[in-house]
Amino acid sequence: MIANAYELIVYILTLLGVYEPVLNIFQLLGIEYVLKIIIVLVEIGILFVFVLLTVMFLTWMERKVVAMVQARYGPMVTGPRGLLQPVMDGIKLIGKEDIVPAKADRWVFTLAPFIVFIPALLVFIPLPFGQSLIISDLRVGLLYIIAISAVSPIAILLAGWASNNKYSLMGAMRAVAQDISYTIPLALAAIAVVMFTGSLSTVDIVNAQNGTWFGVIPRWFIFLQPLGFILFLIASIAEMGRIPFDFQESESELVAGFFTEYSGMKFAMFFLAEYAHLFSVSGIIVMLFLGGWALPILPFVPAALVQLVSLGVFLVKTYAVIFFAMWLRDTVPRVRIDQLLNIGWKIMIPLALLNLLVTGFLITAGVF
Amino acid sequence: MIDIVFLVISVVTIFSSLMVVRAKKLVHSAIYLAGALIGTAGLFILLKAEFIAWVQVLVYVGAVVTLILFTIMLTRKGEEE
Repeated sequence: MIANAYELIVYILTLLGVYEPVLNIFQLLGIEYVLKIIIVLVEIGILFVFVLLTVMFLTWMERKVVAMVQARYGPMVTGPRGLLQPVMDGIKLIGKEDIVPAKADRWVFTLAPFIVFIPALLVFIPLPFGQSLIISDLRVGLLYIIAISAVSPIAILLAGWASNNKYSLMGAMRAVAQDISYTIPLALAAIAVVMFTGSLSTVDIVNAQNGTWFGVIPRWFIFLQPLGFILFLIASIAEMGRIPFDFQESESELVAGFFTEYSGMKFAMFFLAEYAHLFSVSGIIVMLFLGGWALPILPFVPAALVQLVSLGVFLVKTYAVIFFAMWLRDTVPRVRIDQLLNIGWKIMIPLALLNLLVTGFLITAGVF
Repeated sequence: MIDIVFLVISVVTIFSSLMVVRAKKLVHSAIYLAGALIGTAGLFILLKAEFIAWVQVLVYVGAVVTLILFTIMLTRKGEEE
């Protein structure tokens, strides 16, 4: 059984007959760990390229979905159906002048986009893309994901503060107030899932959802935890800072929120982080509630194709969640800031606690 | 191998801890504090205590440093110079 992407790479290399001669060379020199490090770096490289391509595709998809809802065409000029539009955007952003405001804290101002980008990438490490397509199956994978996502508000605060602009600072304040209040129902909803699996490992969570009830209904946690799923979905849309909860950059009030002063590549970093976050959060929703790569027909798939099919299943589910988030953005208006905090503290947290209580009772009573 | 990693993490942690008290601006101190706490989490990972490491990141970096930054930004500016 191949457990993670590292072993998968080794397996593929062994099939190609490359692994053993190379390993022998490294063993002769007594530096096997260098080979390990190289393979891990290759893994990270593949992940990085995948995230970049996904982000490019998502920016295109977002425009197309907005256009579809508003009965327009969206980008059509560059490439077939405007598919090369993200490339043009990237070239444009690289070509822009990199402006640092005169009164800004130069050091923090430069650091903030990187701090915002690193957690967005790190979250992908325990995310199972397929049956063995996972960088590392951490024993505390879910805790790791929540902990890493808790770091990004710092970067937003730093960006807003360092810009020395009142709109930036207000955007940052709002973003962090929102992040802090919505992390709680998010974590509480995730804990209810952990109560079923008894494990924080992402692989165990997906494995627990493999199979069916009565041979028809897939064993996904959305059927056991409908309330938890809705709470997690709303809280994660708020965490991503998308409409209807996009207070960090509400254009009509705050220009562009915490990245008002950013231009060129630094702006691109925020953009990249935002869409990488959209993908990773959708992936986490799929992993927790929609069965990850698990699908009832998976046992009937020939063994050679299982990896590809499971990756496909995961991507289809993730893109369905992403499409839902984009659809929501085009349909509903923004809530007010007091409404946002009321929803978070007075409705979602009590509901999440209630959900936890009921789940606990039902598990102790032996219903599940 | 593990000794080298330990040395690097230790040096980063000690340097950040020193800079927390030496930095001129309060916000810079808070960033260095985050660095020092992440370094400590790294030491926990070296000890194979993953759970404590990520709780450390969640509670200290995610909550405490955010609150410190929040407080610094909500109070008056200009006193820190």
